[in-house]
Amino acid sequence: MATLVEAPVKHAPPSPKETAFEGPPPGISEDWLAVCLGLFVFVLSLGLLFGKDILGWAITTSVWTTPAKALAPASKSYTGLSPLVSLLGTFVFLLVILSIGAKALHANVKRFAAGFTVVFALSYLCWFIGSWAYIAATPDKRPALKIPWSLNLTNESGFIIALLAGLVIGNFLPGVSRFLKEATRPELYIKTAIVILGGFLGIAALEQRALATSVMFRGACAIVEAYLIYWPIVYFVSRRYFGFSREWAAPLASGISICGVSAAIATGSAIKARPVVPIMVSSLVVIFAVVELIFLPFLAQHFLYGQPMVAGAWMGLAVKTDGAAVASGAITDSLIRAKALAVSGIAYQANWIMGVSTTVKVFIDIFIGVWAFILAWVWSAKIEHRQGEKVKASQIWQRFPKFILGYVATFFIVLAIGAAIPALVPKIKASMGQANVFRALFFVMTFFAIGILSNFRKLWQEGIAKLAGVYVLCLFGYIIWIGLFISWLFFHGVLPPVVKG
Amino acid sequence: MRKMESEYEPLLPVENKLIWYTFGVGVVLLVLLVVVSRAFM
Repeated sequence: MATLVEAPVKHAPPSPKETAFEGPPPGISEDWLAVCLGLFVFVLSLGLLFGKDILGWAITTSVWTTPAKALAPASKSYTGLSPLVSLLGTFVFLLVILSIGAKALHANVKRFAAGFTVVFALSYLCWFIGSWAYIAATPDKRPALKIPWSLNLTNESGFIIALLAGLVIGNFLPGVSRFLKEATRPELYIKTAIVILGGFLGIAALEQRALATSVMFRGACAIVEAYLIYWPIVYFVSRRYFGFSREWAAPLASGISICGVSAAIATGSAIKARPVVPIMVSSLVVIFAVVELIFLPFLAQHFLYGQPMVAGAWMGLAVKTDGAAVASGAITDSLIRAKALAVSGIAYQANWIMGVSTTVKVFIDIFIGVWAFILAWVWSAKIEHRQGEKVKASQIWQRFPKFILGYVATFFIVLAIGAAIPALVPKIKASMGQANVFRALFFVMTFFAIGILSNFRKLWQEGIAKLAGVYVLCLFGYIIWIGLFISWLFFHGVLPPVVKG
Repeated sequence: MRKMESEYEPLLPVENKLIWYTFGVGVVLLVLLVVVSRAFM
């Protein structure tokens, strides 16, 4: 994840040696670590298929009026377990596996463990607060909870609370931010969550195969929009009307159009930009993703509760980091289901809207390496030809987001087992329900970490005003609305399944 | 950031080609994909 760092401004033309990014840092990459962690949790959850309830002790949080009744272990097999022991066990489990991961990343494990303790505690507290009935309860749950009103935000409002808490820390408590730095890894958390999510969506696909196929095809169409429609216009606007050099315009176009952090860095590397360029672009993308995350789901709820899949696709197309796009999808999923239930009495099945957002975003991510390769060829062959330089096809694999392999693996494993042995489907569902406990925890930690990293003041001090100008014009003037239009074209009339009974 | 502002680089013909051919291919593909999704999905 890009951080806001000082970088020297150079006035001499850059030489090839000083412009190219260095190779990957030592140790495993966060992408591969996310694959390992996600698959580990996924495999443990599948213990239920063999009669072993390995993860049933993990903590779940219900919508509550009485705090003491909010917490419980995920599985009835562990009913006798104290909720506080369950919560502590969940924390210790995550601390251990993530500390091993931090070691593999060659991070400072002690600092990571100390920081992660605070990240987990504060994130979980936000999730707990977000589950308070007066915030979270949907209208159909109010009678059972004996409350006369609620904000109807569902317990996923905990994500927004975590984001706001992170923003306060990131912008007003620099000492705390520094203490938490080693554990502030939103990309790792969201990618691990997405790997786990693959299995959960596999169940959904198993039960609604025609709809799932349709969603995947339409999601793939998003690739055309992001790369072939967004990118050239943003590049043109930044070059022609804002006077940006090619070195800035190309990573900016990729960051705004495709996927903020990964695409900006891949493009910067492809065209041999100085490292400061994609870092500044990435920082800007994260800030605006946070702004979108706060407003777009509520806009989607207000205007699109009758077209939920349009709303899901819109989040995937308009929000430009993996974490924020999937997170926006999750919030939109909850908000729209709540509103559809309240206004129309329709109870849509959970996670289809989020599934569309994730599918759209994942398909966009897949082609980052291909696009970087194309740009590298165009730049080296046509724009800045340098003797002896060759563009290698291996760049495509280097730039491929590896966490997607984990997502695809969990998705197809669930699909394959369920299709081959239908009798196991109820157990697979229970397994994925338990894995989902950890997916939700990784989600809330992602929101918290995104908030910490979004330092608005420092960004302004870096002199990022002109870059922000292009971003605002392109994102709010073009990308969001074209994204909505194309989401409408492909998903209008496609509805999620309804809850039976 | 100062280099970005002080050294203006005019759009090259190859950049114009990259921009407008990419956009054109995108629009054509989009129309085709909408037709396919409506016809077969």
